[in-house]
Amino acid sequence: MKLWRKRDAEMEKEIQHHLRMAEQDRVERGMSQRDAGAEARREFGNVKMVRELARDVWGWRWLEDFVDDLCYGARVLRKNVAFTLAAVLAIALGVGINVGIFSVLNGATLRLLPIPQADQVLSVNQIFHGHSPRNVHNEEGFFSYSEYLDYRDHNHVFSGLLAYEPFVDATLGGANKRQVIGTLVTCNYFEVLNAHPAQGRGFLNSECAAPGQGAVAVISDELWRNSFGSDPSLIGKTIVLNRGSYRVIGVARPEFTGTEPLASAFWIPVTMQKSLEGDRERLADDNMSWLALLGRVRPGISNEQVRADLSVIAGRIDQLHPGRTTLFSIEKATFFGKPEERRFLIPAASVILVAFGLVLLIACANVSSLLLARASARHKEIALRQSMGATRWRLVRQLLTESVLLSLLGGALGTLLAFWSFAGIVHFATNHLPKPLSDLALNIAPDFRVLAYALLVTLVTGVVFGLIPALQASRPDLNAALKGDGASPGANKKRGQLLRGTLVGAQIAVCMVLLLAAGLLLRALLYAQRVDPGFDVTNVAQAFLNLRAQGYNEAQSETFVQQLRERVAALPRVSEVALAECAPLSDDHSGDSFSIPERPGEIAMEYNHVSPEFFSLVGIPIVRGRALGPTDWRDGSAIIVTESTAHRLWPGEDALGRVIREAHGQQRTVIGIAKDAQISHLGETNTLYIFYPAGPRDGARSYLLVRFAGNFIDTAKGFQGVVQSLAPDVAVDMIRVEDNLEVWREPSRVVAALSGSLGALALLLASVGVYGMVSYSVSRSVREIGIRMALGADSGQVLRMVLRRAMRPVLIGALVGIAGCAAVSWILTKMLYGLSARDPLAFIAVSVFLLAVSLLSSYLPARRAVRVDPVIALRYE
Amino acid sequence: MTERYKSRMELLQGTLDLLVLQTLMWGPSHGYGIAQAIRANSGEMLRVDAGSLYPALQRLQKQKWISAEWKVSENKQDVKVYKLTAAGRRQLTEERSRWEQITDAIAGVLNPAAKKEG
Repeated sequence: MKLWRKRDAEMEKEIQHHLRMAEQDRVERGMSQRDAGAEARREFGNVKMVRELARDVWGWRWLEDFVDDLCYGARVLRKNVAFTLAAVLAIALGVGINVGIFSVLNGATLRLLPIPQADQVLSVNQIFHGHSPRNVHNEEGFFSYSEYLDYRDHNHVFSGLLAYEPFVDATLGGANKRQVIGTLVTCNYFEVLNAHPAQGRGFLNSECAAPGQGAVAVISDELWRNSFGSDPSLIGKTIVLNRGSYRVIGVARPEFTGTEPLASAFWIPVTMQKSLEGDRERLADDNMSWLALLGRVRPGISNEQVRADLSVIAGRIDQLHPGRTTLFSIEKATFFGKPEERRFLIPAASVILVAFGLVLLIACANVSSLLLARASARHKEIALRQSMGATRWRLVRQLLTESVLLSLLGGALGTLLAFWSFAGIVHFATNHLPKPLSDLALNIAPDFRVLAYALLVTLVTGVVFGLIPALQASRPDLNAALKGDGASPGANKKRGQLLRGTLVGAQIAVCMVLLLAAGLLLRALLYAQRVDPGFDVTNVAQAFLNLRAQGYNEAQSETFVQQLRERVAALPRVSEVALAECAPLSDDHSGDSFSIPERPGEIAMEYNHVSPEFFSLVGIPIVRGRALGPTDWRDGSAIIVTESTAHRLWPGEDALGRVIREAHGQQRTVIGIAKDAQISHLGETNTLYIFYPAGPRDGARSYLLVRFAGNFIDTAKGFQGVVQSLAPDVAVDMIRVEDNLEVWREPSRVVAALSGSLGALALLLASVGVYGMVSYSVSRSVREIGIRMALGADSGQVLRMVLRRAMRPVLIGALVGIAGCAAVSWILTKMLYGLSARDPLAFIAVSVFLLAVSLLSSYLPARRAVRVDPVIALRYE
Repeated sequence: MTERYKSRMELLQGTLDLLVLQTLMWGPSHGYGIAQAIRANSGEMLRVDAGSLYPALQRLQKQKWISAEWKVSENKQDVKVYKLTAAGRRQLTEERSRWEQITDAIAGVLNPAAKKEG
């Protein structure tokens, strides 16, 4: 720029010198000073033109034009404040919500772990091919401890490789009892991640030397603050987790919440697995997936080299498991880096991005129509430019510069709004999610990816909404335009109308899709509120007993559960107590594959272990056969199936006495048939479902169900009192089973709120669009209306004509939207609890609503057409 | 208007470059001086207008065949003086021989008899 300005000044000086020399020559030849000057200039020609031609040689022309266009565009925008404001706000809304949602998705899927040089850290998962049995805890792609050691000691690609078991439930003992989620880690965890604790130290290798060693813990900043009051002398003291004592050796940095999306409250050496989890010893199981792997690659090593190096080790391990081949999925470590999570997240994220993108599209279409309308008003200006020799490309470039300028203003505003508001929105949303999800540690602060996305969306927006109007406006039609006939150019006008109609139709179509989705989900929510799950959940409370995880062995938990049941049953106003492995609708399911002798093949079924009182407590009647008895668990063969299970496995036959075989061969006999109930999935009564009798040992991890009369709070208090007196170190919460329904309604509530607010936004934008189109076309056809009225049309006829014209694109758009939504609404099936994805009531109600709104927004401007005075109209322009 | 200048420029481009380079062969000069020299040396036949000359000077600078610097003239005026570079000298030789080939060729076409006899 500077160079270019200097060159310009020099050129000017050179030309002046040329002119002076020429003048001087002429004076010397005897011409008068004045004539000499005039002739020199005449001979030289157009100074400005010469300067521009000389400058063009250097190829700076486009830049200069661009700056010119920019200045001109800014002037035009400043002159039409109302237009600019409307357009900028529409774009800001559209871009803002897109940038906001992208920053959330970025935080969830793209952002690297909050550690130094996070781009060097890879997440490694196994993919097993071929049939070979494997024990799985959490995810199949995880590693066993011996596998981890093998990879750690024999790879040549990582400077450090760590393993951890995520999501370990624990009860923090002591004065402030609390349920927390923590992580079991290998002792190089903090070292490899380069996330050294803010206080104290990380783990020493000696602390991971042998199973049962290393009763030490690093705790999170959050736990330190909220449960230990930021005690500055906590290091070296002992805390109690699951009844075991751990010496605190460090407090993590505030920004380090672990390597999973759910914040970790503590980190403990993996060698403490059995004592912390009270479970079986996983360290010694060489064929169990339970540890996630993260490795920091050496500089200059590609993913392919990592894969090749690990495959050598995998090949050696595979020899121990004939028929198995191990492949790897290797990704940069993010919070959602596991293949299973990605498989779910990426389609979900795409649907969300598309929905938000649709709103932006409406905003674009709106600004497009505004620009189209304004372009007709600028018809004369553009025609003048064309007659002065501006090429079409040059005009398009000028108009596009204007629209990009507009989109940059809107985009900047929208991006700022998004950064400012989305942190709060996300905080609000996660706080309303059910418990473990409310601990989501999402970092949605803007980074370069978000900024790049914002810029890209903004620029694309500018071109998308600007291109059609620019092409339309620069269509050469000099004659008509210069004649000053504002309302005339026939072909052009038709084309303009068609374009505006298409834009409005597109807005309505998109709006229809979003509103229909919201409508379906709202209907489903109402439906779920009234749905009869097939059993009685009012006045039933549940308490989740996870004694194994709290350090109880089998004998201890057996006694505890036995005493608990007796004491709770003796509480006043408690009428019945039962045990169940999975509480009704608790989103806690067990499933396995079974087979029946009558048919080959495996059948996937869900099952539940329940005590005999279960059926009467929740009110599920046994329709055939007998109920479970108190001793059925001992001989271990009796089961109860649901009606639809019986019907599907043995259609048309009696299921009583039939045999079901488990995956490892054990046979069970059907002794009773229970009435269908939506016991595990709301809205699904036909799940294949088996009830096993629960024995005393099943109590170590189960739900205690309590039927009470009267006030829930009293029952819950009584229950806590019992627990406190039996075992003060056990943390158990009691909730109402009804509340489980909330968990089911929550996702559809969130999605309904989301699509509802998107739909409302879309509706607002689209009705502004319709309003704009109609008022514009009324103002353009004042003369036509005047003629009609002069020829005797009454106001009703004129109104009908205007509305007919306005509603045609709206109707077409609505039909397209309905068809589009019907085609994709199956995506929502999961959240509709059995409601049809093409629920006619939702479709009709939403369509009528949208059409009514569009009719209203075209009626308001159409009324103006009726007030046209034929005499004035015919003199118009 | 742009079109008018452009077509004239294209017509002259190759030749004008040659003329400018040849003029600078005799010594450095400013824009007006170059125009006057061409005019005088062609016996007032070739009048180079500014709209062709100045773009040509810029073009030749861009090709690095000539260089420019600001000097102060005898009557204390800032003057931009152009000078032939080594690359320009080579270019001039090349263009000259090409020009001679073309004029020979044209002469041959216009006057076939003379050639046969010669």
